[in-house]
Amino acid sequence: MTDIKSILEALIFISVEPLTMDKIKEVLPERSEEEIAAALTALAAEFESGPRAIRLVQTGGGRVFSTKPDYDPYVRKLLQIERRKKLSPAALETLSAVAYHQPATAPDVMSIRGVDSTTALHTLLENKLVKISGRKDAPGRPLLYRTTEKFLAYFGLNSLDDLPREEELRKILEEGNA
Amino acid sequence: MTVVRDPSREEEQPIPPPKPPPEPSPAEPGAAGPPVEAEGYQVKLEFFEGPLDLLLFLIKKKKIEIRDIPIAVITREYLGYLQSRDRINIDREAEFLLMAALLIYIKSQMLLPREQPLEPDVDPRRELAGRLEDYRRVKVVSARLRDLEQEQSQVWRRAAMTAPLPEDDLDLIEVTLFDLAESFFALMKRKQAQPAKVLKGKDISLADKMKEIVAVLEERGVLDFLDYLEAQETLEEALVAFFCLLELIKARLVIAVQEQLFHTIKVWLRKETSAKDDSP
Repeated sequence: MTDIKSILEALIFISVEPLTMDKIKEVLPERSEEEIAAALTALAAEFESGPRAIRLVQTGGGRVFSTKPDYDPYVRKLLQIERRKKLSPAALETLSAVAYHQPATAPDVMSIRGVDSTTALHTLLENKLVKISGRKDAPGRPLLYRTTEKFLAYFGLNSLDDLPREEELRKILEEGNA
Repeated sequence: MTVVRDPSREEEQPIPPPKPPPEPSPAEPGAAGPPVEAEGYQVKLEFFEGPLDLLLFLIKKKKIEIRDIPIAVITREYLGYLQSRDRINIDREAEFLLMAALLIYIKSQMLLPREQPLEPDVDPRRELAGRLEDYRRVKVVSARLRDLEQEQSQVWRRAAMTAPLPEDDLDLIEVTLFDLAESFFALMKRKQAQPAKVLKGKDISLADKMKEIVAVLEERGVLDFLDYLEAQETLEEALVAFFCLLELIKARLVIAVQEQLFHTIKVWLRKETSAKDDSP
């Protein structure tokens, strides 16, 4: 029988979207989740340490192959991309505010940042880093915003839990003050 | 929006205070000196993302505890920064003025004679302190996101595929305006038959609705045109939705397809647009 690691490698290779555990289990119903998880970890370690330009990353709740940073200039040359656009500080702050208070309205974000954030929200909406998730049952029925799957992928996060939590934030802040 | 700023570096930069202290300030080479200070600040204010950012900077500079801000000191500093500008751009800087007003208001609250000393939980500074702490978290998180963005900008994944636009070998017909209109009138008839129950007035903007439709398309990939219109709360909203759809088709952002004559009309996002928008 073919090695489970190699099967997983093949499955992830042909998947463009991050390959989730559920999908893997559909293909390999006879294998236990622990067995699959162990094989994934081993596979990731092999790619990471081996002489490979590709690594196996966990993002958006699944596994996907990505290039290693060293090969960035070559990939960009191939794709004819000069350099990637970066988000503005205002957009990043707005995104952080939405990520921690979602679903959030534009006034919510404004009260957290102390500045009008409509433009930043529009930029994020255009870039699909946030989406409209409905309307708040409040005067004016303001739109509610949430972060998207693309937000996770853009920052290489596996889930929202990967963002610093309350204790971690407090620690960083205390260190910053010292 | 266009000012590129490195928050970690900026906080360590010695920014000359509004009124230079008598002792020589630890100024950066070439940039110091009282004569040029006015221009210096003008640039500096734009470094701050907002009044909270400026306040945090002053608090850090003065080594002040957020929970126990000496309002007089901080207000003086804050106003010093504002006064160093000869004019205020109301569009961009109204929020800075609002904060100045809030600081003065808090000070006045604290100066008011009271029968009993203020208890800590009715401290007029409490709300501001809470906001500053929240904002400080946002700053930490956005610095983290900035790092992650930098990291991710150097790694590449295969491009994600977009919603499954039907292959052209299927016998799909791209619909004409008349097909759309026909479906729409059929729906209107159905709607009319229903008893009117919605009385409240509601303003729906075309732009908002359009965003809603695109958001739905992005999530589900495909939209059943009739179902969507029928799901609208009011006739007015359905009308707006219909206009939006026409607008989106005209802008070639979506494609509307009828699988068979007299069947429902389905709407997809156009592949090329979604692919193009994929990289921010």
